[in-house]
Amino acid sequence: MGFEEVRFLLGNEAIGRALVEAGCEVACAYPGTPSSEIIPSVEAFAEELGTKTEVEWSVNEKVAFEVALGAAMSGKRSATAMKHVGLNVAADPLMSAAQFELSGGMIVVAADDPGHHSSQNEQDSRFFAMFAKVPCFDPCSAQEAMEMVFHAYELSERHRTMVVLRPTIRVCHARQSVRVGAPRGFRREAHFEKDPSRWVCVPAHVGRMQRNLNQRIRAIREEFEGSPFNLERRARRDEGLGIIASGICFSNVMDLIELNGWDNVSVLKIGTPYPLPQRLVEDFVSRHRKVLVLEETYPVVELQLLERKRVMGRWNGFVPEQDELTPEVLEAIVCEAFSLRPSGSRESASLRRAVEELGIKPRRPVFCPGCPHRATMYAIKRAFPRGVYPSDIGCYSLGINQKAVDSIVCMGASSTVPSGIFLAHQVDGKEIPIIATVGDSTFFHMGIPGLINAVYNRHPYVLVVMDNSTTAMTGNQPTPASGVKPRGKQGGCVSLEAVISGIGVAHLEVVDAYDVRGTMRALKEAHERAREKGLPAVVISRHPCMLILRREDRRELPVRVDQDRCVGCRNCVDAFYCPGIAFDEARRKAYVDERFCVSCGVCEAVCPAGAIQVERGEA
Amino acid sequence: MQLVIVGIGGQGILFASRVIGDLSIRKGLPIIGSEVHGMAQRGGSVISHVKVGPYSGPLVLKGEADLLLAFDQDEAIRNMDYLRRGGTSLVNVHDPSRLANEHLSSFVAERGLDLRTIWGYKLLKEELRLPFGYLNALMLGKLASLGLEPFDEEGMRESLKRVSPPKHLEANLKAFELGLRS
Repeated sequence: MGFEEVRFLLGNEAIGRALVEAGCEVACAYPGTPSSEIIPSVEAFAEELGTKTEVEWSVNEKVAFEVALGAAMSGKRSATAMKHVGLNVAADPLMSAAQFELSGGMIVVAADDPGHHSSQNEQDSRFFAMFAKVPCFDPCSAQEAMEMVFHAYELSERHRTMVVLRPTIRVCHARQSVRVGAPRGFRREAHFEKDPSRWVCVPAHVGRMQRNLNQRIRAIREEFEGSPFNLERRARRDEGLGIIASGICFSNVMDLIELNGWDNVSVLKIGTPYPLPQRLVEDFVSRHRKVLVLEETYPVVELQLLERKRVMGRWNGFVPEQDELTPEVLEAIVCEAFSLRPSGSRESASLRRAVEELGIKPRRPVFCPGCPHRATMYAIKRAFPRGVYPSDIGCYSLGINQKAVDSIVCMGASSTVPSGIFLAHQVDGKEIPIIATVGDSTFFHMGIPGLINAVYNRHPYVLVVMDNSTTAMTGNQPTPASGVKPRGKQGGCVSLEAVISGIGVAHLEVVDAYDVRGTMRALKEAHERAREKGLPAVVISRHPCMLILRREDRRELPVRVDQDRCVGCRNCVDAFYCPGIAFDEARRKAYVDERFCVSCGVCEAVCPAGAIQVERGEA
Repeated sequence: MQLVIVGIGGQGILFASRVIGDLSIRKGLPIIGSEVHGMAQRGGSVISHVKVGPYSGPLVLKGEADLLLAFDQDEAIRNMDYLRRGGTSLVNVHDPSRLANEHLSSFVAERGLDLRTIWGYKLLKEELRLPFGYLNALMLGKLASLGLEPFDEEGMRESLKRVSPPKHLEANLKAFELGLRS
């Protein structure tokens, strides 16, 4: 190796670094917490190390997966990264391409979110690996994730299979000192070998493909018996107490053992949860009197155990079925299972009483001060107080604070769920206004087929595309409309208006999201046109995200609340829900909280008493 | 040294943990921590864990933190059980009457905590006329004044310089020096 140094990297940066060092030449993804920083890191390290790696943001995860697949079919090392629910979108190519005998190595990074910090569910991607019969690595740290990338490519090429790397959020968003080095993957020449029996999934070929797949996964299971990522830490005093821990649970358990001085507990670390090295695990189980299985989030290791009844885990209620296994939760489980005691006091009754008495609750996430979505949500609620508001995945899900979000399912459901709601009511001869919301990036991701379906089948509803020119929630990645590509490359620009008009909607209007009254008028107009023509209508409410607007490009309209005119109705606090406006409960008056206010001035349109006033000339 | 940094999304907590990370790395100390990204960052409660030393996992266990660095007083109260017996808490206050709560005082006494406060918003506004975005540098200055290993003044200033984006460097240093003195 040319050089080695220690850097303080985020887990996702470490994964990106390892991909570049290992010779990944095509990397693409759609952003999603907790995976979003992987692609920007591939970009940054490819620049730093001077590799030719092609790096792209894809329109969705299925697209990203298939682009990476095509590269691996052409002999290159490729990678795609996504959040756990992103793999649902990419499940179709995963299940079929898992049968392929790839030419180049391919890594699918599926980042899970135990504890649902930023997700709509807690699904476990290791199950997807098992479902597809693809080997899976579960790293316990950023450093190990890096080592797994090298191993995964090597395994991938030797067995001609794709490999799933499944970090959890505490690996992705851990920041730690890691060792980085020079690129050590050799370059592979691009060559697509024509071979229909290998690349064409038709019934005539599937029998052989399935036989290969099954043989391959048996061979890998055998290989994992000796994998360096599976190891046993034996207790100093053997009392027959054993823990099987997969991924990050291993790291957390080791800290607990060290801290509490539990020198009578042995740990079997599992880094390859699928296919599970059966002999290694069964041997560990047979040597221990009590065995606890700790893994996030589903019982993937547990369900592969031949003698599951001998262990304590999820099946018998020792491990909770949901939420993150934090150190506090793990400590309680281990204490209960092995009749041990913690060394310190964790929670306190007096502190709990203080928090209760002071009425302190965890702060809910809210739209940023100056966020254009807040204005749009407010306008929707005002224009159609009795409307139904299906929404979608993205920042605008925070419109729930303003009671302007009635449903969120998955990416793109904002253009399809309204159809079903419409049809259900139509059957009964009823009519309700349906105002759906979706962001620009999510619309490109999976909103388009639903809108086509609604035109074809004649479903009148209003879709508001909230165009803030970015993929905001995940860290402001560019959208297909921007034409911005990683590594300074120029992409094509896809026009939102052209796409929507091309679908043939009843009506399309573009408004400035900051213009609350204008948006209300446009929404009513769109609703009328939709009813008239029996087709969906679209309003694009456009204003750049506050996080991408440079300070000098922001609107500066400082506001004050005229304390004499304020009637204490709380409309600005409850319906507008901006951190920049606070409410003095004692005086029953609203006031501007200058810790948060960014002087966007939108709230002026919100006060029914005219108490919120722009301070003209003083700015 | 195990510490927990708490506050509200947008207050620059990730930046503060990055500066502390840089300092530890330059001192040759192993460091691991956990950050919050995505949904949890949007003005909601934010917590960042930092562990300096030979640790495996990134999360601080409740009752084990040496230090609680709190950018918001309510978040400080809510998370004070992260502190170990004899731990230190440094809190940005704007309405310290809440810290006078009787049950809170008994908790502080129970665990023998060293409770320090700083009028962060007031200092930034009145002394420096700086926006509240520089609260993190101010807090790091105050932290450097406490003499807790491994956070010394020289090292912290140097790391702040290294991690700071150039256009914020001057204001960051001003806020840092003010925190150090107050």
